[in-house]
Amino acid sequence: MIVAEKKPMEEIIEEVKRFENILVLGCNECVTVCEAGGKKEVGVLASALRMFFLKQGRKMRIDERTLERQCDPEYLEEIRDVADGYDAVVSLACGVGVQFTAEHYPNLPVYPGVDTCFMGVTEARGMWTERCQGCGRCILASTGGICPVARCAKRLFNGPCGGSSDGKCEIGKDTVCAWQLIIDRLRALGRMEEYERIAPIKDWSTDRAGGPRKIVREDLAP
Amino acid sequence: MHLMQFRKKLEEGSFVVLAEMEPPKGVDTTVMTGHAVKVKGKVDAFLVPEMSNAVMRMSALGGAMVLQSKGMETIVQVCCRDRNRIALQADLLAAYACGITSVMAVTGQEPSYGDHHQARSVYDIDLLELLTAVSTLRNGRDMAGVELLGAPDFLMGASVNAGAPGISPEVEADDMKKKIDAGARFFITPPLFSVETIAPVLKRIDRSAVHIIPTVLLLKSLGMARYMARNVAHIHVPDALAERLETAPDRVRECVKIAKETISTFRAEGFSGVLLSTMGWEHKIAEVLEGV
Ligand code: SF4
Ligand code: SF4
Repeated sequence: MIVAEKKPMEEIIEEVKRFENILVLGCNECVTVCEAGGKKEVGVLASALRMFFLKQGRKMRIDERTLERQCDPEYLEEIRDVADGYDAVVSLACGVGVQFTAEHYPNLPVYPGVDTCFMGVTEARGMWTERCQGCGRCILASTGGICPVARCAKRLFNGPCGGSSDGKCEIGKDTVCAWQLIIDRLRALGRMEEYERIAPIKDWSTDRAGGPRKIVREDLAP
Repeated sequence: MHLMQFRKKLEEGSFVVLAEMEPPKGVDTTVMTGHAVKVKGKVDAFLVPEMSNAVMRMSALGGAMVLQSKGMETIVQVCCRDRNRIALQADLLAAYACGITSVMAVTGQEPSYGDHHQARSVYDIDLLELLTAVSTLRNGRDMAGVELLGAPDFLMGASVNAGAPGISPEVEADDMKKKIDAGARFFITPPLFSVETIAPVLKRIDRSAVHIIPTVLLLKSLGMARYMARNVAHIHVPDALAERLETAPDRVRECVKIAKETISTFRAEGFSGVLLSTMGWEHKIAEVLEGV
């Protein structure tokens, strides 16, 4: 999933304080799972904003709504009939949702309510960790299913650097060394001969480094 | 030894003549230095590009150091594409310590333009941030705020889009103002063949705050003029030029004549100088500069 974190209240207040009618718009997918921008968080943020502005003696209308997804035109259309009634939207979707909402409502200012962080997993309750950077050419087959792009601090492809010690990365004791994980797993799978092979030099043209990316599936096009 | 003819002439208000000198793809620098030595004295400084069009070759700093070691002044390009802030600052310190006193900041083209399509570009900092970083170094600190043992007193410039077709003069003028605020003291434009294309931008900026140095491109053939007119978005080649080349008895001589006239025009119009770009025809620099 895409993992996001709530933005500090002060930042959101700063974004919206000049408006009168605001829609706080959540998303039912990833940001609901990581508890940053689902229906529950929409409710909490909307009440907090109401309270803040009320204390300031300001009468503002702050409505709540949560869409199935904000990255799909179909669901974004659901607010078409009410959109005109708002001066601004605070979207609690990931950066994708914020942008797509803005693209669909060109005259409506849309502000981000979360910081979008990475693609990752729920490792434990209240803890999410990164797993993939969407490099566009997955090499997990040769690394025992553990991604050195997303999980090695130096994005190394041929084994650990000199900083790996006791299975931890040189950036800190809280970070496991991705290459330690890869080696452990290849060993467990009896595939250490794969570790001995030198990886081909990575082609980054499919990564974000090659510019914004696009996939077109002719077979699905209407 | 720090060479500063370029800066001195800019400060005095005399017209500067720069020539582009691309380092080799390889380690043999004899051709590059040969061309440069031939016009030493006619050119105030050589601008050494940093892998233009994302084609891998000797770095600008390396090429510039080779030229400086032979007593020729250089302006070295620093580019956001290939180096992060650590490497950029490190190279800037090296450049100054090796006698290079002028730098030109550029954004750089995406690797997909060049010959290493699989490369990962860096863009840790952008052009404005790079200019700010150079100003910080000039003030004796690095980007982390740590004090330097000796600060580089660079004259700093940047590339601008002024005069390129399809660029809004308002936006470009704002962009130039931002770069001046960040510390840029000279601007190098894309290739210009006339003053008209840049005039709307110039009207909107304070000419006394910055030196504008147009690039004068030596055309090589009618085909090149036509190709550029059709396919190169940031260069405006007037139709009249192609017509002129079409009827010229000796097209190469006509190309040289056009470059000479363009330089004279910019001098007459009060520009601070020109950058002559010969794109592989560096043996023609002397001929173009003859008598201008
Ligand atoms: S190799 Fe690329 S696509 Fe595969 S998990 Fe890593 S970043 Fe994601
Ligand atoms: S210690 Fe391991 S994870 Fe950290 S940078 Fe080195 S190889 Fe990568």
